[in-house]
Amino acid sequence: MRPLDETETDAVFRKLHSFTGHNLKNIVENPSHEGPEPNPGRYCFRLHKNKVYYVSESLVKRATNISRKNLASLGTCIGKFTHGGSFHLTIQALNLLAANAKHKVWLKPTSEMSFLYGNHVLKGGLGRITDSISKNDGVVVFSMSDVPLGFGSAARSTQDCRKLDPNGIVVHHQADIGEYLRMEDEL
Amino acid sequence: MVKKKQKQKIVLPPALPPEISEDEIEVSDEDLQFVNENRDYAGFVSRLDTDTITRHVSRVADLEGDDLEAAYEKRLGRKSQQKQEEEVRLQVDPVDALPVKTLDGKLYYRTLSNTSEKSENGRDADDEKGDSGADKGIVRLTKAERRAKLKKSKKEAKKQGKELGKTEEVQETPQAAVLAKVKEDLTAEEVFENKKLKLAELGIALLADPESNIKTLKEMLQFCKDDDHAIVKLALLSLLAVFKDIIPGYRIRLPTEKELEMKVSKDVKKLRYHESTLLSAYKVYLQKLMVLEKRSKYQHVAVRCICTLLEAAPHFNFCENLLGAVVENIGSSDDVIRKLCCATIKSLFTSEGKHGGQATVEAVRLIADHVKAHDCQLHPDSVEVLLSLSFDEDLGKAEEEDKENKFRNKKSKKRKNNEEPSQLQENDRKKSRKELLTKMREEVAADYKAAAFTTDVKEQKRMQSETLSAVFETYFRILKHTMLSTTDSPEANDNLVANATGAHPLLAPCLNGLGKFSHLIDLDYIGDLMNYLKKLAGGDTNSNSSSERSSKYLTVSERLQCCIVAFKVMKSNLDALNVDLQGFFVLLYNLILEYRPGRDQGEVLAEALKIMLCEDRQHDMQKAAAFVKRLATFSLCFGSAESMAALVTLKYLLQKNVKCRNLLENDAGGGSVSGFVAKYQPYASDPNLSGALASVLWELNLLCKHYHPAVSTMASSISSMSTSHNQVYLSSISPQQAFTDLSLERELLNPKYDIRKSNSKRKKGSSKMTGGFGSSLDTSSADEDELKKKLSDHFVLLRDFKENGRLRSELERTTLALQLYDEYKKQKKKNRKA
Repeated sequence: MRPLDETETDAVFRKLHSFTGHNLKNIVENPSHEGPEPNPGRYCFRLHKNKVYYVSESLVKRATNISRKNLASLGTCIGKFTHGGSFHLTIQALNLLAANAKHKVWLKPTSEMSFLYGNHVLKGGLGRITDSISKNDGVVVFSMSDVPLGFGSAARSTQDCRKLDPNGIVVHHQADIGEYLRMEDEL
Repeated sequence: MVKKKQKQKIVLPPALPPEISEDEIEVSDEDLQFVNENRDYAGFVSRLDTDTITRHVSRVADLEGDDLEAAYEKRLGRKSQQKQEEEVRLQVDPVDALPVKTLDGKLYYRTLSNTSEKSENGRDADDEKGDSGADKGIVRLTKAERRAKLKKSKKEAKKQGKELGKTEEVQETPQAAVLAKVKEDLTAEEVFENKKLKLAELGIALLADPESNIKTLKEMLQFCKDDDHAIVKLALLSLLAVFKDIIPGYRIRLPTEKELEMKVSKDVKKLRYHESTLLSAYKVYLQKLMVLEKRSKYQHVAVRCICTLLEAAPHFNFCENLLGAVVENIGSSDDVIRKLCCATIKSLFTSEGKHGGQATVEAVRLIADHVKAHDCQLHPDSVEVLLSLSFDEDLGKAEEEDKENKFRNKKSKKRKNNEEPSQLQENDRKKSRKELLTKMREEVAADYKAAAFTTDVKEQKRMQSETLSAVFETYFRILKHTMLSTTDSPEANDNLVANATGAHPLLAPCLNGLGKFSHLIDLDYIGDLMNYLKKLAGGDTNSNSSSERSSKYLTVSERLQCCIVAFKVMKSNLDALNVDLQGFFVLLYNLILEYRPGRDQGEVLAEALKIMLCEDRQHDMQKAAAFVKRLATFSLCFGSAESMAALVTLKYLLQKNVKCRNLLENDAGGGSVSGFVAKYQPYASDPNLSGALASVLWELNLLCKHYHPAVSTMASSISSMSTSHNQVYLSSISPQQAFTDLSLERELLNPKYDIRKSNSKRKKGSSKMTGGFGSSLDTSSADEDELKKKLSDHFVLLRDFKENGRLRSELERTTLALQLYDEYKKQKKKNRKA
């Protein structure tokens, strides 16, 4: 386990920024009430076996006592680095993203299942969409009752979505909570 | 019997002596001498009334046939000549100027020869003709011509009479100069009255029979060139009344040269003449109006005339000029003029049947150009008129249908092209037949259209879309101007105050208009519009200090209105896309904090709350909870009206979002329901990150003790809302209504009302108020006396307590002093002994 270096931090923050915008500081400066210390610590990012974890400092201190091959996971895993060196967010980051998302999309009840099977979001299934989304922004997908379902990247801006025909793709699927069942082994 | 016959015999005058020329008469010397001595006797000869004698002598009774007619004609001719001669001279009132008696004994009244003046004022050809006709001796006229001549002469006489009245009379003798001035003052009123009467006469004549009296229009126009202001105004107004009724329901098109050369029937000639006179008179009148409009004395009258003409006849010729003049005045600083013009234009918009929509397009386009020319610094009325426009509901959809049709046509054309080469000959014959048929149909349709009065639907749609585009052009220009003026010069803080009040007069009506026509905005522009509105409302997240300063240029009310408009636009375009206006929610969240009761309008805030929160269908718990908490804080800070509005919204939100009722529980920290943010951040700018689900609504407890009973009842009812069961009872009041109710009540609040409250308070002895005070506003005076008594008892008691306390303390002090003294004495004795 080691902290992230410059390039890695840059990659992680860039990905997070496309979802959260300037709420990124909320993620970084979130006070953590875990641990026995009276003063709240902070959260930090750690790299372990090509996976990036979002952990509170107090937990990190204690985790350093465990050897590398015995440490399975710590805190919340938010993504992993591929062989090529690029960073991808995984579904476990959903809670963090949903709390601080700038761009949101709400799905109609009829099209929830379709998204949870891994399909892209079509305009016909769109219940509501945040204003001021531009192309390739990170978008968090919710159900109409505000339950986060997953996230993806915007295929086109909100303005273009107005004129789209009902079968056009609005959001490209990246991760959804159905993966917990479908890809149980890979997580 | 014989006597009677004899009596019936007419006594004939003696026959005249045979006529001998004067040269042959020889006058003897004796006769001459006699006449010279006795001139007086012969005077009677000159005094002979030769006229009557000759009349008697040359009696008609003797003449027969043509001679009779000739005699009559001569007589009439002489009569008319005499009359003319008489009327040519103005009789001076014998009271003013003394007559002269000649030796003959005849009285000569002062007369004025006005032959010189006639030649000076030879305006109309008619005058000169009439004069020459009169001077030329007796001409044999037919009866009709004679009648016409009489009429003309009468008119001329009257005119000349007026001319003399109008023009200053140059007296020949200095003696009468002073008299003339006196006469002027005296007869000025008479003259005024005469003119008024004349105007009225002409007007009535015109209205009674416009066809034949169309020439009198010119006479009335002459009055407009008068020197007297009142007469000019009267003339303008009377002409207005006449034109309003005379103007036909169609545009007059003057006949071309070809048509003039053609031979036409009398009726057509008459109609043409009528039309051309009407048109020329109208033109002169309008030109006069335009000229007079510039002068301040006639401004009101001229503008009123122009407006009324435009309202009455928007289809007639020259309506563009009228429109131009009206739109020019639409932004004038004079209240009366501006209101007149605005009312005219509004009536133009609403009564489209009169002019078939063309005038609407023109007017809107002119207004747009006007706004552009003045760089958006106009009185808000000028843009407010656009609110009275109305468009067809399916304007946007029709365009889509047309596009679809075109698409279909294109497709079908392609198909046709593909099918053609297969069946040539048969198709040719069928085609030609079909073509003939379609051509016939088209011709018939064209004829029908030309004849029918119903407006073509397509034409109407085209005009409406033109109008709409002009309207939106104006609105966007105003928005852009506001944007530019707020982002320019961020360092000029001195201009802040000046800008805040006067920089955007047109913004309010612009926003209203956008809200009204939001469903007609083209989808392309909605995105831009939303961006603009967001920037105007000051919600750029990457704002540095300079833009923060500039966002203060817009008042809180204006920014709230921007939010309201954004929501209206979004709601009317729901079928396109349901957009969540998160940015505007953030703005509202912060604007609630910036509200100040004196400076900003509470009604706008109430409307914003209603539109954005009450009518929203989202179930975002964090956001709703954040607004609930902030509204509760807000209602603590301001007066009862704002509190009531906030509380109504709060209740609504709590009823809709069941999870938010956790705020009513005394459980800080929220537990599992608090969501992602563990602690409440009161200064967070984003409602989603405020963590309000973790807070508690302690403000309600304070509000239960509010001085206003309505507020306290509302607060207590909210606190008793429990999380277990869903309450079906929804409050029917909207926040706006609540605000207005309480703001009015504030003024009407009776002092007796308060006494009643405090009375029951003392009786019950508890601090909690229950409802029902709204109905029991009538108080009895008996309570007042009782209250007085009780209050006096109370205060007497208090005073007694105080007195007691004071006295007791004094007593203690003195006893203490005495004790000290006693001790001191003892000590002294001891010291002395020791």
